[in-house]
Formats: sequence, structure tokens, C-alpha cells
Amino acid sequence: MTGTITKIAAVILLLGVCSCRNSGTRQGGLSFPVADSVPAGEAEKLSDEALADIVQNIASPVEIASILQSMQVPFSAGYLAPTHEADRLTTNFQKAVMLGIYGADLGYLNIYEKTGNSVDVLSTIKRLADGLRVGQYFDFETLKRLSVSKSNLDSLLFLSVNSYNQIDNYLRENNRGSISALMIAGVWVEGQYLATQVAMSHQDEILRDRIGEQKIILGDLLMLLRPYRSTSREYQSILGMMEGISNKYTDVKVSYRLGEPETIEEDGRLVLVQHEESIVEMSDSQLAEIAEMSKEVRNKLISGL
Amino acid sequence: MKSRFFILSLALIILPLVAESQPATEELVSSCVHSAGENTTYLKDFRIQLPKMSSNGTAPVYKANMYLMKNMKYRFSVCNAPGSGGELAVTIYDQGKELISSYNSSTGKKYNTIDFVCNKTGLYTIWYDFIDGEQGSGVGVVSMIR
Repeated sequence: MTGTITKIAAVILLLGVCSCRNSGTRQGGLSFPVADSVPAGEAEKLSDEALADIVQNIASPVEIASILQSMQVPFSAGYLAPTHEADRLTTNFQKAVMLGIYGADLGYLNIYEKTGNSVDVLSTIKRLADGLRVGQYFDFETLKRLSVSKSNLDSLLFLSVNSYNQIDNYLRENNRGSISALMIAGVWVEGQYLATQVAMSHQDEILRDRIGEQKIILGDLLMLLRPYRSTSREYQSILGMMEGISNKYTDVKVSYRLGEPETIEEDGRLVLVQHEESIVEMSDSQLAEIAEMSKEVRNKLISGL
Repeated sequence: MKSRFFILSLALIILPLVAESQPATEELVSSCVHSAGENTTYLKDFRIQLPKMSSNGTAPVYKANMYLMKNMKYRFSVCNAPGSGGELAVTIYDQGKELISSYNSSTGKKYNTIDFVCNKTGLYTIWYDFIDGEQGSGVGVVSMIR
């Protein structure tokens, strides 16, 4: 009888653990974020706690690709990281960085609707995600089906971006922030590589501004990586490389022109047009140096450091 | 034998309950993404569940920081979970200054989506709360307008 009670208790405990883990990690069934009752004046303060929120939004794998598409820059498979490199990745460090890099490539492929080409990238991502024990957030079969059928680009974009968001959430909530930081760094580096390579051959003010503004974002990315500097030679190395890019931004200036926002109602929707503006001052030679350094860092990362 | 049968039965009863709680939010996120419109690309979702306003009158708020980029148009959509007590609202702040909210407390007007034409790259704070400090649950989705 005691044995039976123990078994029942074990099953209940196991189910309880599974249940808690799911609600916390996948944020399914609505997670319970800590409620903040913060006066409006406090909103601009950036605490350590807030840094965790920032980092999840540092790099979007689709925004840069979307700019390139709007510039009517033709798709080039030459910008993509080779997937055969992924087979020889052994450490979690390498896998996490490359998971980010391939995530950015997937965004590029999807935005350009080169979905037939993306199956190879998807398979590689799945292998890396499994290797990092986060493969459960990657619905490979559905993504593959959507890619092959080219039937629903919106669903494909949603599922792929959502998979990355969930992996990021899971890693941070399970004290694996160091892996999440590497993945984010990988996304950022590949997006930066894409943007700078295109900027060197296509003149476009919007893209140029976007590259210049990375000075702000790179600062936060460095803050995110710094705490792990002492944990291994690899972290030290990636931080050094990112600081190398940051140094190339030293003389890039980002200033602001004030302006009052304007609110209008359009088709029953409230629209805010911001008239305050950020202005980037970056010379051609600064851009060229940033592009060169970004390329160097990215190539080192895909060759496994 | 009996104990094994009992354990199996217990597992079969409890497992579906555990599993069922998952897709509900995924479905809500998915439908909220869909409601943002065809010309949008999903960027991020926030899953919100907040208690009722406390007796001292401070309304619970879920806040998140997000980089928004110049020359991009963003759409912020809010969707209430089935059975949510309150209605979810989103407010965007730039350095502590309110820029726009989906709920106008003086007129009582509510919007399910707000668009933000961004001209200044920077870190913005997104606040989610439930109107009148009600208890509630819902999803906020941030999309890029193509």
C-alpha cells in the first residue's frame, strides 16, 4: 500500500512539474508576468531587470530583410551562411551562435519568399535547436510544409519568428541566458552582415541610417555579453569581436531633432506619426570600415571562431 | 496490478487537462496576429495576465522594453482572452512620455490596434494594462506594417 501511495505521489509530482514547466517556458495558458505598478515618471529608467526585456528585442530577423526587399535589392544566396558548416559544430557556444545566424538567414529567405531554398536552412536549425535541447519549440514539419507549398507566407513568418521568440524566452527563464545572448548576437551579426554588404553595393539612405543606428543597439548587446566574459575563452573572444565592431562606430554620431507627435484616426484605427527624428551622421569610409569589420566577425563566427 | 491501473487512470485524467491549457494561448496569439491584418509581419507577442487593482488604487501594469526603428511602421494589437474580466489596453512611452494609447480614458474610446509611424530609433516602453484596473488576461502583438 505504501508503494502504491508513493507511485501515485510520484505521478502527481511528475505531472505537476511538467505542467509548471510548460506554463513558465512556453508561456502557454498565459504565463504570469510579474505585475509592475510603476508611476509614469519611472518608465524611462533602465534597471538591470529591464535589460532582460531589452535584449529580447535587440535583433529582429525580419526587419533588415524587409528593408532590403523594399529597396528592391535582388535576393542573393551568396549572403547566406553555408549550412554544411553546421555539421562540425560541437560546442553549445557554436550551436547557439549559428542558431542565431541561420535564424537571420531564414528571415531573409522568407521575406524574399525563397521558401524552396529554406528547407535546408530549416533542417540545420532544427538540428542545432535539438542539440541545444530547445528543438521542441521548433515545429519543423509545419515549417517545412509551409516552405515547400509556398502557400502561406504569413503563417511561415509567424511560425519561424515565434519559434525563435519561444526559444529565447525558454532559455532566459531557465537560467540559460548565456545561450540566449549568443543566439541574439548571432541574429544581430548576420543581420548586420546582410545590411552592410548590401549597403556597399546599393546606395540607400534608409539602409545607411539603419546601419548607423546599430551603434545604439550594439551598446546593449555588449552589456548583454559582458557578464559572461569570464566564463570561457569563447565568450571572451566573441565579446572582443563585438567590441571591435563597436570601435568602428566610435565616430558615428546619432543626434535627435525634436518634434511633437501627431495622432490621426485612419479607417477606425488610431495612428501616431512621430515627428521627433533620429539623425545619423556616418561617412562613407566609416561605413566601409564597419562593413569590413562586420564581415570579418561574421566569417570568423561561421568558421567556428 | 490494481495500483498500476489506478495510476494509469489518474494520468489519463490529468494529462489532457495539462495539455489543454497550452494551445489556448497559442491560438489566441495566432488569432491576434491574424487580426493585425494581411499587410503585416509578426515581430513579438506579450502574454499578459494581471490581477485586479489593489485597494490602494495602483493598477497592475505589464511593461516591456522594445527597440523601435526609424522608417518603420509598427502595429500594436491587443486581444482579450476568452473569459477575461478586463479589456486589455496598450500604451507606448518614449522616455517616460506617453505617446499613444489604445484607450482614451477621457472619452472612453477603445481601439484594438494602434499604428506607430516611427521616426526615431530608440528604446520604447510598452505598457499593457486592463481598463479600470480590472483583472484580466490577453495578448499583445507587435507587427511590422509592410
